[in-house]
Amino acid sequence: MTRSSLLNALMLTPLIGATYSWKTALGVWLMFVAANSAFGLAMAGLRGRLVPASHLLAAVLLAATLTSCLQLAMQAWALQWHQQLGLYSGLIALQCVVLEHSGFHQRPWRERLLQGAVFGLLMVGLGVLRELLGESGLRLATLAPGGFILLGLLVAAWQAWARPTSSN
Amino acid sequence: MNRTASFATLALLAALGTGITWLVQQAAAPRIAEQQRVLDSRHLLDVLAPGSYDNQPLQQPLRLADVQLDHSTLLGGYRAMRSGRVTALLLRSQTLGYAGSIDLMIAINPDGRLLGVKALKHSETPGLGAHIADWPQGWLQVFAGRSRADPADTGWALKKDQGQFDQIAGATITSRAAINAVHDALSYFDEHRQVLIGVDGQ
Repeated sequence: MTRSSLLNALMLTPLIGATYSWKTALGVWLMFVAANSAFGLAMAGLRGRLVPASHLLAAVLLAATLTSCLQLAMQAWALQWHQQLGLYSGLIALQCVVLEHSGFHQRPWRERLLQGAVFGLLMVGLGVLRELLGESGLRLATLAPGGFILLGLLVAAWQAWARPTSSN
Repeated sequence: MNRTASFATLALLAALGTGITWLVQQAAAPRIAEQQRVLDSRHLLDVLAPGSYDNQPLQQPLRLADVQLDHSTLLGGYRAMRSGRVTALLLRSQTLGYAGSIDLMIAINPDGRLLGVKALKHSETPGLGAHIADWPQGWLQVFAGRSRADPADTGWALKKDQGQFDQIAGATITSRAAINAVHDALSYFDEHRQVLIGVDGQ
């Protein structure tokens, strides 16, 4: 598996698994942003002090620490919300490491901000859409297969809009 | 950059990471336990009106005798009290539904009238019998205010069984199990009222 497809698979997991309600989606995204911001800052300070071979190990240690602390903090302040996130909050550590591995944290901050915002918009948007559809009687929308179908439709709509067919 | 410095940084990072996580865990543990307790008791007790008790009913379970009833088994009993007076009695009842056992929390006021019923656990068919676990559950609310003698024994059944009550659509067995369990609990309360309410309860 190439780096980018590993990254895509890791982003897709919460995008489908944690968007059955907008609240869960928002929770995962907020934790994602908090963990990745702290992770990016700390790694920027660490990179100069480490030989390249130990970058990965440092990233794992850092991501595990940050995610554990965030999880504990969220449990202490909003236990019910944290329980809704389920295993997706733990997955954020892996996302940090893979994002670091793919060079995400060394890109210009504007680009990172934009991508983080797009990810959040997609998460919460999909969450709202699935919840609305689920409440209006389409129970499939709240299940994982419904999430896939909806995401597929969104991607198709995006492509149709972004690349208008050239007349020939 | 040398390998020793790099290794030292890594070791420091590992030690700091472990230490900080441990400290955060120590600091958060009591809060998490408290939140968990509140969540648990809310899950079990939201069949009662929020201001109707000031004790912690789950902390003082009652010792129940003869818990094997006609259609159900009582798993526990709790007293909800306000200012030292019993305001409600909670019976946790287990009965057999369509796909497995159903646990109900049944709240009865000291006069023997039903305050509310909530399904705590079940494995009924999703979309049909599983509606019993919706909260608030409209169908279970029709039992509020009823007692063992209201309606009479024959009325405590589904209309399909010549009784008085409607059923959850498409879930006859689930509905029948719930009705019987509620009636069982009300009868049990009537027969054991003195013990359940307690001498000092009134």
